[in-house]
Amino acid sequence: MTENKINVLVITVCAALLFLMIGMIGTASAALTIAANNDRLKIDFFYHGSTLTFTGVSDQGTDLIIKIAAPGGHQLLRKKGKVAGVLWMNVGELKFDHVPSLYSLHSTKKISDILSGEEQARHLIGYESLGKQTDIQPVANESDKTKWFDEFVKYKKASKLFAESEGDISLRVNAGEQHYYVSSPWPYQAAPGEYFVTVYAVKDKKVVATADTKVLVEQAGLVKSFASMAKNSAALYGVISIAAALVAGFGVGLIFRRGGGAH
Amino acid sequence: MYLYLPVALTSINVLVPVGLGFAVGMLSGLFGVGGGFLMTPLLIMFGIPSTVAAATDSNQIVAASTSGTYAHWRVGNVDFKMGLYLLAGGFIGGLLGVQGIKVLKAMGNADFVIKMTYVLMLGTVGSYMLFESISSMRKSKTEELQKEQESATGRFLRSLPLQTHFEKSGVTHSALVPIIFGGIVGILAAVMGVGGGFLMVPVMVYILRMPMHVVVGTSLFQILFNCIEVTFLQAYTNHTVDFILAVLLLIGSTIGAQVGAVFGRKLKGEQLKVILAVIVLAVTVKIVFELTLTPSLLLGQSGGH
Repeated sequence: MTENKINVLVITVCAALLFLMIGMIGTASAALTIAANNDRLKIDFFYHGSTLTFTGVSDQGTDLIIKIAAPGGHQLLRKKGKVAGVLWMNVGELKFDHVPSLYSLHSTKKISDILSGEEQARHLIGYESLGKQTDIQPVANESDKTKWFDEFVKYKKASKLFAESEGDISLRVNAGEQHYYVSSPWPYQAAPGEYFVTVYAVKDKKVVATADTKVLVEQAGLVKSFASMAKNSAALYGVISIAAALVAGFGVGLIFRRGGGAH
Repeated sequence: MYLYLPVALTSINVLVPVGLGFAVGMLSGLFGVGGGFLMTPLLIMFGIPSTVAAATDSNQIVAASTSGTYAHWRVGNVDFKMGLYLLAGGFIGGLLGVQGIKVLKAMGNADFVIKMTYVLMLGTVGSYMLFESISSMRKSKTEELQKEQESATGRFLRSLPLQTHFEKSGVTHSALVPIIFGGIVGILAAVMGVGGGFLMVPVMVYILRMPMHVVVGTSLFQILFNCIEVTFLQAYTNHTVDFILAVLLLIGSTIGAQVGAVFGRKLKGEQLKVILAVIVLAVTVKIVFELTLTPSLLLGQSGGH
């Protein structure tokens, strides 16, 4: 009796374990993971941007797109235009809404080849879909809006905050699993804040799975102290800046007088 | 080596601000200008936001002009009395100028007026200084003509009340003259958003008839006080002074100002005027190009003017 009971128990446990393992394999094959080698970037005095690598596992046979974006916010920019027909000057301001301050894409192949336009728009992938959801004020009409959105992308690209590098995610199949890897230059121009990194698994021109992670950029040490002092103790900061300049100017003057006396 | 700037929120190679500081500081010690009309656009070119560039430059000029004033004072080339009158006028002018900008902005074409004033001022001052100093170097017939002009202006200036003698400069003027002209420069400087050294120097040379070497020292003296005021206001109201960037700039500019002052003593007043005129005209040409060539980016950071 007891032996039988033990046998039943062993069989039940084994069956349960097997079931669990099958279940795990099942989820693993449908899962998509993402991890950053560094998800907390500290801006200190010697910060000059960074290079992040994103790795993970995806279903075999899926293509991948990685999107890095700051939450869509509000940005005010000056626009240049022609005055009196010949002179280029600032002719007012444009307000951009619902558009990320940083936006970068990586993919295994050319995005238009692996994802339909509809799906791109749904997941905000590509400048075209970004342009559709962006609100620009004031613009005269749709073509004016398109023109200024293109200028916006150009401006962002110049400051390295918008970037597109198609076909740079590398894939490797190991023990039946597809591992991916991409290295992404992180611009020092990116302001402190929270950035969202999303990986999209794509099959038959459709997104079949997504996974995300975050990258936090924050000021640290003296950079943080100076930045917060400039903002929160503005008067003291101003006085210290002036005093330091006076002392430096006077100090160098004294040094030169001694030097000057010698020759 | 790169350093991160906590207010400009960008990273910069330290050699860039130190080098720029040295070059502009040297001009400052040579000519008695703050050099903002050169430094601010250069900093913007290296990725510093325009508002931070202008505010930080004024902090840096505090150091360069202290260094320069000290160098010139040692050889007796600062007219403190004249400097104080000009400062008083400049202060009032600055207040009026800020109101003037508000009126222009309300009229809707502020940028156009500001840019045009700037180009015309730079162009006129540069050309006048260039031709005047070249012709007086030649000591041709024009000298007599100028003497006539001088006596005409001189008669008018002498007819004003409150005549007082400025010992260092060796001139006698009504106290109203430096105050009024200081005021005019103050208004223009505030409207154009520059320190106005390139306007103050010609005013002292051509209207106040001060000797060139005293002009340089005295100009630096009054720039020093203007920039202290501007730095404080920018730090206090706009939070746009980047202390680290200012320190990097002033390492170069304080030394540059001393070197400039030494060079200045070796050059004649007329030679100094010619070089300054050429620099002012070069900046004018650069701005004219900027205004007429299609810019590569049609959008830019907002804020300031």
